[in-house]
Amino acid sequence: MAIKDLKIVGQPVKLRDLDTHVTGETVYYEDIRVPRMLHLKMHRSIYPHAKILNIDTSEAKSSAGVVCVLTHEDLPGKKKYNGLAGVGVGPEDESVLAFEKVRWKGESVVAVIAETPKQAEAAAAKVKVDYEELPAVFDIMEALKDGAPVVTDHWPNNHYIFPDNHRAAQVRYGDVEKAFAEADHIVEDVYQTQPIEQAPLETNGCIAVPEGGDGRITVYSNTQGLQFSLDVTADILGVPTSKLRFIGGTVGGGFGGKVDLQPEPITTLAAMRTGRPVKFKYTREEEMRVSSSRSAWRVEIKDGVMNDGRIIARKITTYQDSGAYLRFSSYGGMKHCGHMPGPYTIPNVWIDSIVVFTNRTPSNAMRGFGVMAGSFALEVQMDKVAETIGMDPWELRLINAYREGDMKSHQKEVEDAGMVETILAAAKLAGKQLPEEFQKMSSLDRKAG
Amino acid sequence: MASRIVSLKVNGQNEEFIVGALTSLQDILRDTLNYTSVKEGCRQGGCGSCSVIIDGELRLSCLTPVQEVDGSEVTTLEGLNQSNSIAALQQQFIDKYAAQCGFCTPGMMVAIQALLDRNPNPSRDEITEGLAGNICRCTGYLPIIKAVEGVVAEMSGASGD
Amino acid sequence: MAEYLQPGSLEEAAGMIASHGSSLAIVAGGTSAMRYSAPQAEHVMGVRGLGMNKIEHFSGGLSLGSGVTMSQIRESLPIPALQEAARGVGGPAVQNMATIGGNIFARQPYGDVAVVLLALDATVTFSTVNGEHTKKLEDFYASGAQADGLLTRIDCAAPGGELVYLKCGRRRFNSPTVIAVAACVGLDNGKVGNACIALGGAGKHPTRCAAAEKALIGEALGVASIRAAADQAAGACSPGTDSVASEWYRRRMIATYLTRALQQIAAG
Repeated sequence: MAIKDLKIVGQPVKLRDLDTHVTGETVYYEDIRVPRMLHLKMHRSIYPHAKILNIDTSEAKSSAGVVCVLTHEDLPGKKKYNGLAGVGVGPEDESVLAFEKVRWKGESVVAVIAETPKQAEAAAAKVKVDYEELPAVFDIMEALKDGAPVVTDHWPNNHYIFPDNHRAAQVRYGDVEKAFAEADHIVEDVYQTQPIEQAPLETNGCIAVPEGGDGRITVYSNTQGLQFSLDVTADILGVPTSKLRFIGGTVGGGFGGKVDLQPEPITTLAAMRTGRPVKFKYTREEEMRVSSSRSAWRVEIKDGVMNDGRIIARKITTYQDSGAYLRFSSYGGMKHCGHMPGPYTIPNVWIDSIVVFTNRTPSNAMRGFGVMAGSFALEVQMDKVAETIGMDPWELRLINAYREGDMKSHQKEVEDAGMVETILAAAKLAGKQLPEEFQKMSSLDRKAG
Repeated sequence: MASRIVSLKVNGQNEEFIVGALTSLQDILRDTLNYTSVKEGCRQGGCGSCSVIIDGELRLSCLTPVQEVDGSEVTTLEGLNQSNSIAALQQQFIDKYAAQCGFCTPGMMVAIQALLDRNPNPSRDEITEGLAGNICRCTGYLPIIKAVEGVVAEMSGASGD
Repeated sequence: MAEYLQPGSLEEAAGMIASHGSSLAIVAGGTSAMRYSAPQAEHVMGVRGLGMNKIEHFSGGLSLGSGVTMSQIRESLPIPALQEAARGVGGPAVQNMATIGGNIFARQPYGDVAVVLLALDATVTFSTVNGEHTKKLEDFYASGAQADGLLTRIDCAAPGGELVYLKCGRRRFNSPTVIAVAACVGLDNGKVGNACIALGGAGKHPTRCAAAEKALIGEALGVASIRAAADQAAGACSPGTDSVASEWYRRRMIATYLTRALQQIAAG
């Protein structure tokens, strides 16, 4: 059967919600209309690391329009959470509302609920928190040094502990040190990326609406992890999930930036306490400063390369800045590790993927979670290798690209390989002239070409 | 505090309300009149998702004090829907996949309408500049530009050019 | 919640300014004031109704009402540098709203049009309860950009030479300014007779750069004098670091863009 005979593959599919997008009739969470809605604003930490000595909400409580003020003492269930606890990732390290300590600038401390957003904002500014500022650490390599300020007690060395007590997510395949000794060239470098805000056009937020008097609450949310949000909210409120109905799916841009699970628990608690609908919407400033960003990454690569272009060994140590809490970073670190050493067949591979804690805004998913920083580092390294040995970078990639049936360093055979054909197609589009033997290469046969 | 009555004609409908304090046109359109196509992406004039047409000019409702547009005619996407003037543009958006999450789309529609009102046959450069105040985080803009080019081609075809 | 005031005349506006002092924020187009000053203020005064949006031409010069918008400048002014600066302010919606008066008060690195007005050696006229007063825009910035009354008018003579405006941004359209330069140079027998160099994104306010002007006056406009002026500008400016660009980068871009502007003038 030829591609042209396929009925679905290769055919454009109409997006289901485009009809109402173009008329503006798509209903986002914020377009829900409920009467007597209250508004929640958060008082946030002004220090990246500090001991909380006292929280004084008296002035906020008596501020105009204020209906309810919530601190950690008002949390009926769990006071800490991790969004992936439901699938066995832990520990639950992140405060819902900070107590004892704040660990990043912008951490939630006190929620203020009032009749209007302006009243809530004015009252939140009147919350008084006494702090004792603590030394903070903002750099992943500094955080790993002896004597660095400890970000959370869960990890006294400021790095995540993977299952079976491993410091890193690891790959061990072949013998890199032996191969380095045999290699014609060693090519080494360090690649770093910065945090990036996903910047969805619609900021994080939700509306929680009490349904009748028996504690049932409907939550309209733009979370990207509706089930995670539901689970975490039930845990924090100490209620069965059957009391909560989460409605979502219509998200005004997410890109990974809406899996923090921060707005829903506290807004639902506020609705429960006040018996009225409550809305919590991040301002654009909160979206930029407080919502998680893509992690900063540091990738150290050492390659052993032969004169004919074959990469015979690749050793990678990589550090991910998780910020002050774990969120989904260990998952991102695993994906990052799984993405290495790139789409190349290398017989000796050594990878350590380390998740580091600092007093920065907790990082989280963003498109290609864990992968983008890896690809950036790997492909710049490939160019560097080509330059070092005086080879065309297209040819270097074609020589090393994995072929059908090759063993990957994760000890899984390559299936459905298409790297060679992809490079050749790209070369054609870019007008790149490759020697004939390269043009004849195939993913199905390493000897072709 | 001195309150006053502000009158607007929104999407052909006469509206009146009492305002005293600093109030944005966006708050009136979204929260008082329930024109929810007027999206709130930043409240800083940076994203264009609250774009409306005021007396024939493209403006940002989030940064417009409602008192300053007393007596004006305001058109939101709901108004453009009513007149059915943008049906061709909407079909182009669907055909060219010019929306994904859809949050910027109402502001885009209004901005495109304002652009075409002024310049019915814009070049690609003029389209790009005409939409420069509207941020889209999903499409990468090219599908949107192609949708505008598509509707321009249709219009010029219909006029026999 | 700020009380919203709408004066019916310049006199009434001046009176409101005098009686409310620093608790008053003035909104014209809203693109800056609605973000920064108005939400914090006790009283907000809208001046759109005062009719300050007239453009008058006189013997090559201009008198611009402070409420003239970026779109008006783009469409109806004969000075390309001013048009280009206005074109660089936001997207079309912002250009329909933002006023030249607001641009003069805009926080750096915004305020592109003011950079061109500085290079044109413009004057600003304020209306107060004690009548009108006019000062040079350069002096207004040099004394800390403190408004005395309501800014009603900006006047400038025809450019005293070749005027070039260049902006370094992050995007082609609707980009915040990294830096902006405006250079107005008059040649006299192949030598620079007069030079007016203005920089944006180079300090707390748009600034004239006397050191760069001095490096040009009396010299032939060529490689050596242009390099000297660029070096002087980079050395004399005091740009800030923000989310748009670092001080380090801005300083280098000021030298680069001033060089390009002067080269354009030299090439005629």
